[in-house]
Amino acid sequence: MSAVSGSYNLGIPNAISNSVSGVPGTARPACSGMPVLVLVLVSIWILATPAAAVDWSVPEQQLARKIVAVTGSGPMALQFENRSSIGRRDSEIIENGLHSTLETMGVRFSEAEHASSSVTITLSENLTSYVWVAQITKPGAETAVAMVSIPRPAWTGSALDSVPLSLRKTLLWSQVSPILDVAVLEENATPTRIAVLDPEKISVYRSQNGRWLEEQSAGIVHANSWPRDLRGRLVAARDHLEAYLPGIVCHSGGSLNLSCNETDDPWPLLAAGLSGNAPVFASVGSSGVASSGIAPEQAFFSSARNFFNGTLTPAIRNVSPGKFYSAAAIAHDKSVLWLFAGVDGQVHFFDGGPERIVHLSWGSDVTSVRTSCGAGWQVLADRAGDDVSDSLRAYEFPDRDPVAVSAPVDFPGPISALWTEARGDTTVAVAKNTETGSYEAYRVAVACNQ
Amino acid sequence: MKHIAWQWLAISSVLIAALAASAETRPQYGGTLHVSMLDAPLSLDPADRATPDSFGRRSLTELIFETLVSVDKSGRATPVLADSWQTRGGRRWQFRIRHNVWFHDGSPLTAESVAASLRFANPAWNVTADRDSVIVESDLAEQNLLADLALSRNAIAKRDSDKLSGTGPFHIVDWQPGKELALGAEENCWRGRPFLDGIEIEMGRGFHDQMTALQLGKADLIEVAPEQTRRVSQQGQVLVSSAPMELLALVFGQDGSSPDEKSLREALGWSVERGSMRDVLLQGTGQATGSILPGWMSGYGFVFPTTADLARARSLRDQTHVSANWKLGYDGSDPMNRLLAERISLNARDAGLSLQPTSGGNADLRLMRIPLASTDPWSALQIALAEIGLPPMESKGHSIEDLYAAETAVLATGRVIPLFHLPVSYASVSNLKNWSLRPDGSWNLGDAWLESARP
Repeated sequence: MSAVSGSYNLGIPNAISNSVSGVPGTARPACSGMPVLVLVLVSIWILATPAAAVDWSVPEQQLARKIVAVTGSGPMALQFENRSSIGRRDSEIIENGLHSTLETMGVRFSEAEHASSSVTITLSENLTSYVWVAQITKPGAETAVAMVSIPRPAWTGSALDSVPLSLRKTLLWSQVSPILDVAVLEENATPTRIAVLDPEKISVYRSQNGRWLEEQSAGIVHANSWPRDLRGRLVAARDHLEAYLPGIVCHSGGSLNLSCNETDDPWPLLAAGLSGNAPVFASVGSSGVASSGIAPEQAFFSSARNFFNGTLTPAIRNVSPGKFYSAAAIAHDKSVLWLFAGVDGQVHFFDGGPERIVHLSWGSDVTSVRTSCGAGWQVLADRAGDDVSDSLRAYEFPDRDPVAVSAPVDFPGPISALWTEARGDTTVAVAKNTETGSYEAYRVAVACNQ
Repeated sequence: MKHIAWQWLAISSVLIAALAASAETRPQYGGTLHVSMLDAPLSLDPADRATPDSFGRRSLTELIFETLVSVDKSGRATPVLADSWQTRGGRRWQFRIRHNVWFHDGSPLTAESVAASLRFANPAWNVTADRDSVIVESDLAEQNLLADLALSRNAIAKRDSDKLSGTGPFHIVDWQPGKELALGAEENCWRGRPFLDGIEIEMGRGFHDQMTALQLGKADLIEVAPEQTRRVSQQGQVLVSSAPMELLALVFGQDGSSPDEKSLREALGWSVERGSMRDVLLQGTGQATGSILPGWMSGYGFVFPTTADLARARSLRDQTHVSANWKLGYDGSDPMNRLLAERISLNARDAGLSLQPTSGGNADLRLMRIPLASTDPWSALQIALAEIGLPPMESKGHSIEDLYAAETAVLATGRVIPLFHLPVSYASVSNLKNWSLRPDGSWNLGDAWLESARP
């Protein structure tokens, strides 16, 4: 850890400067409105050439000078070994570079038996740096060691979505601080204006010329500490935003003047579009679908925990789910099928008859979408599994039990939020990328051409 | 949802086998975690220098207390109780203290309380409070200050007479020194209340007893001896191991008094068959080493030879005019130490050296386990030197070559013969979720939860 003069926390190389707004922070643009295909191609190129931009010439010269200071310019037997995470291609570049640099310093290379010195160069590394070590042996002398270190670059790759097709995910936004929800406020072919809810603020970003610029930001005032596994929901109403967090509800007036109140007011349980009358930002457009027969429903969220306490408003006859993490509803045989991912790890079904409790291999995030595909309604659920990766899958209910209708779409880390967007036909899924540590918000859409 | 991912994967090996096939859910609140550990610290004060450093002690400290900064898996400083900092040339550091943080006794964390805690832990430091900041000044550039502040011994504690208070996720409910510790969830923790209601820790339990407790369902999280890790993973239990960061070494009590003495010590170093000891006694766990710092920390560990050279050992012995007749001390509480000491004695005898193992007090050299305190190589080396009984080194610079030179100089004294770097390993029940190891080998249980618990 090096001392850094004059700037706060510049000792944290992982902190990513905000190229979006120019203000201190860690947000960075995601898709920037770029077509997905271009992004994928760029990502493939980045992955295929992970260190193409690295200039190794400076450390090559440093190490070569140190070697020559010991060996002189007599004939040298040179060996290379790569013990580091440097790829084969770069390893060869470095080997060739060192070879050339030593030659320009007058070193001649020969077989070991004719050499006046034998040098083994090892590419190694520690937590923060590449370490190149030269072990130099001369007859009648102890082995000398010379070395240089080169700071390791931050990880810059990104996971690729190689899973086709029934579910399509598009990266909306990525930042280091947790993302609780994202709402798309305006879009053409791709989103052009979005709002991002994080634990401390709502930020509105606009895409201009392929770059995301912060348009507005408003802090969320809260007197108490947030619970761990903080959850939140951002609702884009026709002319304002509403943010729901544990024990806090915020409403924006014009120009994102945010008014937050400590309250136990219930959270909207379903996207407005699922009821067929989505009061979303006018520029996004409405879903244009008929009433679904599913009434807008709300549920009370525990102010100090990570779950809904089980109380619905208005109450639904014969539906008492107990504490739950998430809920979904679909129109089903002239009735409504409610699903609740309970805190007991089970899925609780209510379809007008007795409650059914089913142990599925689902995680704790479920939601529903209303689309023009398949049966018209799908439930999206993440999977039970490890803590390193996650996936979403679409299900339909031809009868009483769920049937998978899509391949799983993978995420680069555990899904921390899953909310249906206001129009009701797409969802926003937030995952924490286990490689980069950043939070990534995706729009997930059901594609019916499969 | 599996919200808070396993951290620290970059330099830890995670061996998980046959996890129960149950639904993964968001973290659940509730439940009491039962932990067993070998260490039996008599004090919870992070700055108590009478209590030896250990992975267990660090784990306890970090459940109750927090540091100003921490070191992430890449070895970089990240904010904890200090939300930002700046320095002028490394001689004057200013740390801005995080707002809205409270000690467990209900009092707020202030710059004054932080400064008092740091002065208590480091009497030689010049630490002052300045409004919402703490200033650390020294005559020399403190290149390692961030790494030092991340050490658990520099965790911020409020000391009122005999009562300790921290800002960590758990507060002390009951403390029987060296025996048991009961912790309760801190409702007002600035990071949010932990998911577990409490943690009960039983101390001074041998590895065998701990494994029995796990198998009988009396413990949820235990330590695993290095030589047992392979068997435990093969049995399908959840096993988590750190990077190899415990140094097992032979440490002489005094400097070599003559060139002959130094040659004999060098001969001892060449006689030890680390490879076979690792394969047989340690069951393949850990890494043979000739250096104090592990290779993943320094990047140059491979430069130091680890293979035995009996001919060289005998040659060195034959060049001396004195005989080696040493007593090798070891801690008899761990049976592995006795096996290792006996094996080292056999190797020494093959080289013509006399080495008598003893678990008693009087010994010329000791088989020591030194938990490396930091992933920062400079801090780790300085603290290892203190454990070995050597004075702090004074480096001319801070480059990788300076580090190598400093370590080489320490080894040249003949006071220490590094043998192995061992990981620290833990086994847990399968329904303990989302716990991880910090880079310093301690548990991170702030985000852990028990799947069977009901909110």
